[in-house]
Amino acid sequence: MKLALLELRRRPWRFAPAVLALVLLTALLLILGGLLDGLYTGFTGALRAQPGPLLVYSADAKVSVPRSRIDAAMTTEVKQVPGVEQVGGLGTALLGAEVSDQAAQASVALFGYQLAPRGVPAPPEITGQVYADTSLKAYGVKEGQTLLLGPKRYPVLVVGWVSDTNFMLQGSLWGSVDTWREVLASARPDLVMAPGTYQVLTVSTTQAADPARVAAAIDAATNGTTHTVMRSVASDSLPGIKQQRSTFIAIISTTFFVVALVVALFFVLLILERFGMYAVFKAIGASSGQLFSQVVLQAGVIAVLAFMLGTLLAVGVGALIPPQVPLQLTAGRAIEVGAGLLVMATLGSALSLRRVVSIDPATAIS
Amino acid sequence: MLVASRELRRAPVRFGLLAGAIGLLMFLVFFQQTLLSALLNSFTGALQNQSGTVLVYTWEARDNLEASVLSPDVIAQVAAVPGVGQVGPVGAATLTLVFKGEQLEVAVIGAEPGKPGQPTKLISGRRATAPGEGVASSESGNFGIGDTVTTGAGGLPVTIVGLTQQSQLNVLPTLFVTFDAYTALRKAANPDATAVLASALAVVPSSGVSPEALAAAINGEVPSVTARTRNDAVANAPGVSATQASFVIVLTLAVVVVALVTGFFFLIMTVQKTAALTLLRALGAPAGYLVRGLIAQVALVLGVALLVAAGLLAATTATANTGLSLTIEPGALVASTASIVGLSLLAVAFSVWRVLRIEPIQAVNPPALGGME
Repeated sequence: MKLALLELRRRPWRFAPAVLALVLLTALLLILGGLLDGLYTGFTGALRAQPGPLLVYSADAKVSVPRSRIDAAMTTEVKQVPGVEQVGGLGTALLGAEVSDQAAQASVALFGYQLAPRGVPAPPEITGQVYADTSLKAYGVKEGQTLLLGPKRYPVLVVGWVSDTNFMLQGSLWGSVDTWREVLASARPDLVMAPGTYQVLTVSTTQAADPARVAAAIDAATNGTTHTVMRSVASDSLPGIKQQRSTFIAIISTTFFVVALVVALFFVLLILERFGMYAVFKAIGASSGQLFSQVVLQAGVIAVLAFMLGTLLAVGVGALIPPQVPLQLTAGRAIEVGAGLLVMATLGSALSLRRVVSIDPATAIS
Repeated sequence: MLVASRELRRAPVRFGLLAGAIGLLMFLVFFQQTLLSALLNSFTGALQNQSGTVLVYTWEARDNLEASVLSPDVIAQVAAVPGVGQVGPVGAATLTLVFKGEQLEVAVIGAEPGKPGQPTKLISGRRATAPGEGVASSESGNFGIGDTVTTGAGGLPVTIVGLTQQSQLNVLPTLFVTFDAYTALRKAANPDATAVLASALAVVPSSGVSPEALAAAINGEVPSVTARTRNDAVANAPGVSATQASFVIVLTLAVVVVALVTGFFFLIMTVQKTAALTLLRALGAPAGYLVRGLIAQVALVLGVALLVAAGLLAATTATANTGLSLTIEPGALVASTASIVGLSLLAVAFSVWRVLRIEPIQAVNPPALGGME
C-alpha cells in the first residue's frame, strides 16, 4: 500500500493525464446531473406544491393542464365522492411578461388557485395582485413592481415571493381565480373558461382514505369524463419530462462508461511500462494480489482527487452560468457522482488484473 | 510498410476486433446523427415545409407557435408593411382527437386555402380546401386517405384527403386543415372560448424582396411582433436548441471515445513492440519508415471501421422502427468522419512520438541493464 502512495507522491506527473481527464469528466457529470435536477424542478414545481395528493383532469386532456376543462357540474360530482376532503379549482396561462426597465421579457405561468399550494399564502383578495416565484428575480422582477402580461399588457402587481413553484420552466405567478380569468380574457380568448369552470381540480383526501381508491371513485362518479391521478404522476406526465430524464440518464451513463474506459486504458499502459518492476517485486515475494491492490488503490486515489477538483470546477462553471439556466447543484447528486466515479474507476483498474497475474517472476532475471 | 502489412496479416484477429469495435462506435455516432436530423424534422417539419417564407409571431410568444396569438389589428399592420406579397393566418394547437374510437394527441394546423401556410411536401392526395377536409402527416402511420377524425366532444368531422412527409410539429401526428376547420375544432374542445385567433402569419414577400429583408422590415415597423425567415423560425423553435445541445454532448463524447480507444490501442501496441522496433532501428530502418507503417495501420483500421459503420447504418435505417422518418444525411456523416479521423490521428501522435524517440543504441544496451532510457 505504502509503495502505491509513494509512487503517486514521487511521480505525480505520471498520473496527471488520467487525473485531468477524470476532473473534466467529473465536472461534466455534475453539470449534467445539475441540469437534469434543475429542469425537473423547473418543470414540475407548481404541481409538486399542490396541497392535495390528487389532481383531476378531463379525460380527453391526456394529463395536460392547459388542455383540461372541468366544469361546475363535474366539480360538484367530485366533491360528493366519499374520502374527498377539499376540492379547489386551478388554472394556468403561459405568457410573456414585460418587466419595467428590462429589455428582455420573462416567460411566466400565471396560476389562479383556490387551495393554497405548499409555501404559497392564501389567494390575494385583490384582483391583479400576485405572488411571484423567486426565480423571476433573475429577470429583474422586484416586490411592489407591476408586470404587464400578454399582448394586451394586462397589469399585475407583485405583492410577495414564493419558491420552487415554477411550471414548464416558466416563472410562476400566483393570483386569485378572478385574476386568472381576466388575464385569459385579455391574452388568450381561445382558452377562456366560464365561471365555475377550471382547468384542473386539486383534491385533498380525508386521513382514513386511500388516495388511489379515491381517485378511482372520482373517475367512476363522473362516468369516466375525468382522469384523476396522483400528484407525482401529474408531474411526470408533463410533456418532455420522461424524454429529458431518459436522454440525460443515457448521457450520464455513457460518461460513467468513459470514466471506466479512461482508467482501464491508463492502467493497462502503466502496467505495461512497469512490467519489469512488477516482475522484480514478484521475484522477491510479492503476490499478484498485493500488486493488484496497489493498482486499485492508485485508481481510487486518482478518482477521489479528480472528484474534489472536478467538483470545484463544476461549482466555478455553475457560478458563471446565467441564473436563467436551470442548473441545480446538490449535495445528493455530488455524492451519487462521487460514488459512481469511485466504482467505475475501481472497475476500470480491475481490467488490469489479468496482466498483473500473468507477470512471470522469472522475467526479472532473464 | 512491409513490416506493418506483415503484422496485420499475422494478427488479423487483434486488428479485426479493433476495427469492429471502432466500427460499432462510429455507427453509434452516425446513428445518433441520423436520429437527431429525424427528431428535428419531427419537431419543426411543419414550419420548414409550409409555403410561407416568413413567419410572424407575437413578441411575447418567444418563437413558440402554440403560445402566439395575433389580434386582427396586428395582422392588418403586418399586411400593410411594404414588401408583403401574400399573407395568411396560421393557427396551431395540440388537441385530443378521436380516431377509430381511440383518443390521439394531434398537432392541428389551420391555414386559409390558397394562402401561405400550406403544407408543401404532399406525397399523396390533395390539400384541404373545405372545412371538413384535412391533410395528415404520414410518418406516424395513424391516418390514411379517407379516414375521419373528430374531437372528443364530437363537433366537426375531418376527412383525410392528403398525406404529407417531413411535416410534423412537436413530434406529434400532424393534421393540416382550413382555418375555419381549425376554429371549429378549437371551439369544440373549449366551448367557452370567446374567440379563436391566429397563432402566426405566414407571409410570402412581393417579387424582388428577400425573406430576410421582409422580416427585418416587419420587425422594424410592427413593434409587437417577431418576424423570422422560415429557416430562422425553425432554428429558434422551442426544444430545437436544447435537443441539439444534448445530442452534441453525446456525439462529442462518442467521438472522443473513438479517438481515445484508437490512441490507446496503438500506444499499447507501440509500448509492447518497443524492443522489436528498437532492433529494426538498429538494423537500419529509418524512423520515418516505422512511423509510416504505424500511420498506414491506423488508416486501414479506420477505413475498415468506416465500412462496418456505414453498412450497419444502412441496415438500421432500412429496418429500425423508431417512429421517426430516418434519412441518411451524407454531409453530416462526412463531417463526423472527418472529426473522428482527425482526432484519432491526433491521439496516435503520442505513439508516433514514442517511435521517433527510439534510440537504436538501446538494442544493445537496454535500460534494464543500465542503458539510457
